[in-house]
Amino acid sequence: MREAAQQITQDILHFIDHYHLGVHHPKTVETEFNTLALELFRYQFQNNLPYKKFCQVRRRTPLTVKHWLDIPPMPIQGFKQLSLSCEPIEEVRAVFMTSGTTNPELKGKNYHPDLSVWDASMEGPFKTFVLPDREEMTIFVLSPAEDLNKNSSLSRYLTHAVTTFGSDHSRFFFNENGLDMEGLIDALKDCAERNEPVLLMGATFSYVHFLDYLEEHQITFQLAKGSRIFDTGGFKGQSREVEMEQLYARFYNYFNVGRNGCVNMYGMTEMSSQIYDQTLLTASETDSVIRDKTGPAWVKTVILDTNTLDPVKIGETGVIAHYDLANWNSCLGILTEDLGCKTEHGFVLLGRIKGSEARGCSIAVDQLLQSNLGGGQR
Amino acid sequence: MTIAEEISIYKVPKTMAFTQFSEAIIEGERTVYHLKYPSLTSDDIQQMMNVVEANRESYLASLTTQEIVEKIDQAIQKWLDPDYPLRRRAEQLLPVITGYDKDMVRLELKKYMRTFRKKELLRFLDEEFDQPAMLDEFRPRKSGGMSRAFGPNTLFHVFSGNVPGVQIWSLIMGLLLKSATLGKTSLSEPLLPVLFAQSLEEVDEKLAETLAILPWKGGTAELENAAIANADAVIVYGSNKTVETMRQRVPLDKPFLTYGHKISFAVIGKEALTPDLYYETIYKLAEDISIYDQQSCLAPQSVFVEQGGAISPKQFAQILASELGRYHKKRPRARLTDEEAMAIQKLRDRYQFEALQGDQVEVYASQTNTAWTVVYHEEAGFEGSPLNRSIHIFSSENLERDVLSIKPYQSLLQSCGLAVAPDRLFTLADRLGHYGVNRICSVGEMNSAKPGWHHDGGFNLLDLVRIVDIERDVEQKMEAFDPDVE
Repeated sequence: MREAAQQITQDILHFIDHYHLGVHHPKTVETEFNTLALELFRYQFQNNLPYKKFCQVRRRTPLTVKHWLDIPPMPIQGFKQLSLSCEPIEEVRAVFMTSGTTNPELKGKNYHPDLSVWDASMEGPFKTFVLPDREEMTIFVLSPAEDLNKNSSLSRYLTHAVTTFGSDHSRFFFNENGLDMEGLIDALKDCAERNEPVLLMGATFSYVHFLDYLEEHQITFQLAKGSRIFDTGGFKGQSREVEMEQLYARFYNYFNVGRNGCVNMYGMTEMSSQIYDQTLLTASETDSVIRDKTGPAWVKTVILDTNTLDPVKIGETGVIAHYDLANWNSCLGILTEDLGCKTEHGFVLLGRIKGSEARGCSIAVDQLLQSNLGGGQR
Repeated sequence: MTIAEEISIYKVPKTMAFTQFSEAIIEGERTVYHLKYPSLTSDDIQQMMNVVEANRESYLASLTTQEIVEKIDQAIQKWLDPDYPLRRRAEQLLPVITGYDKDMVRLELKKYMRTFRKKELLRFLDEEFDQPAMLDEFRPRKSGGMSRAFGPNTLFHVFSGNVPGVQIWSLIMGLLLKSATLGKTSLSEPLLPVLFAQSLEEVDEKLAETLAILPWKGGTAELENAAIANADAVIVYGSNKTVETMRQRVPLDKPFLTYGHKISFAVIGKEALTPDLYYETIYKLAEDISIYDQQSCLAPQSVFVEQGGAISPKQFAQILASELGRYHKKRPRARLTDEEAMAIQKLRDRYQFEALQGDQVEVYASQTNTAWTVVYHEEAGFEGSPLNRSIHIFSSENLERDVLSIKPYQSLLQSCGLAVAPDRLFTLADRLGHYGVNRICSVGEMNSAKPGWHHDGGFNLLDLVRIVDIERDVEQKMEAFDPDVE
């Protein structure tokens, strides 16, 4: 890495180190966040050419931007169409890609010349939001690990969670042939017998297959107190909230893990940090559980009006944008395609913004592509 | 302080009584409107259709087409008076319900109503029937014999809500065919057909008793199946999805007319881009794009602009962008849903990224919101747009060659706004017709289909009637049965 890159990552690591645990009130870190965000913006503007051009079209440069909110967030579409990297992409340590099934050539890519910031950014918040009451835990993982899927940020995350926070009994149950259901059942039985709490981790849909299998074979577990379930990704359909509630009910019926023992992580290939709901954190500290999502001090999430892209007020909905200082090599600002509602304690994720529905005989372009030409969305 | 006001958005025969009602709430500037409509069961639908059918039988069926035309004309005349209370009501409420600009609604509404004057209705009938009187009685045919046209006793209309007014056209079709009507409105625009039915009631109470118009949630199978079972014919406006769902439920023997998804575009020749003409061409195109925020399937989504005029296609795109900006100042676009706004943001992003990579694309767009968007393409092509005043401009070296790009969209094509020299009209019209276009119109007139047009390329009344022939030898041979015959 070049010297400038080393310098900026040092500054970010320093910031992360300082605030690595807990939830910080936005005002307490505002000044430091702003200073570092502007420094990082200047760095990215100078070193990431497509991003520089993108900012220039919007008439935003390090000379005109004085507040982090004015830094133009890169739409996730940009991670598909452009090469967004400050360091030469041939020399990077890892490339995380979106699954993008419709067009493999247009997968979103996030280049990581070095993973030290990524790792540091993962550890503190994981401790805060998943293990607020423990130092380590037996972790069983239902989704592929890093060795199976090198380009998946989730796989990297799961592997790093086990390496850093997993006890000796921790295991991965997803191999080349898929999820080893029998192996997982045996391991869960052992844990229940030993009365040892376990943390299950996986993509939301991976649980559905496993639960169907348990239902079919009429197997339930009485997992030890303190056991918890981590899921990420959510459901994509329109009934996602209903489906999540059904899933939580099944977690209780099949694993004996209640709603307050569940945590949902919101992560993206295009980001380097993760965001969590505060269920486990607040359930361990107080009686009033907060389920709204929030992230570490080096991530700010804003909800923007979809028409003007200006921030909305508390209680209003809009499109979610993240400012993630750990995303030092691509773009610190990311404009998602997720709909969210701003709340007092963070935000509520409302799901992916769907293609717009035509109101009558006229037809919008994305429906056109889907329904009539047999092609997927670009 | 805000005032609450209740508005009935249904019209049913007087003998129908409901006890359960639902409400849709819409907030205006100072008033909160409670749009009230009955909560229905399938029995209600059946009963309602029996009532309108009986009312038709005892009255509408015995009117002549001429009389019906007179009555519709009287109702339309009311609407052409700027002080007519129901017109003022529509002008006040439609912008609140649909979000469309006030002045735009006022202008478009009166322009639209004018297309139903008596002379236009007569034209419309003449267009489809050699003798419109064949809707009243058996009439002689040129080839001998006699024929009469029978319309469906009962018509079930499924309306869409994208553009106010289209429902009136459909209601008039039903009346001309002497059919009793059940109209299912969309909650995105449930009002205008009800107001029009009230005008008919002012003209002729008994005529209005053959109409039932009310909304329910689209796709409610129980209600829709009851309506289909009791109707002789079905007309559906809306998305392809709506049309497809309905198609599966309508038995094969019932006439089923559909007006599904369509897209339109414009073709501008260099002859319309001379120093004295280019501005007017662009001004008119900006109107075509802006009226009803492009929600009508008649509005253009792509434009072919020919090189070689006084301004280049790229300049055309730039000037069009400023014209759309001016139009937005004058008549602002409606507020969008998050999905609609994001569709425009995504369109802009996608092409801006292409532009950053040096592709031959430019994006000209409103800076602080999604009000208007022009995507300029250096290479000829064709694309649909996410609507709401967003448009693709394709540069073309040769229109006759480049219009081939529309071919993959054949099944969806509808209108083409054409501005070229007269000697090119037929070559281009032939090609456009071959590739799927069914209406060629002037730029500036794209949203105003003319009375008697072949909607989506088909007939309107003719497709709904059943023609009964008396063959010529019958009438001759019958003479022999006359007891008084020589």
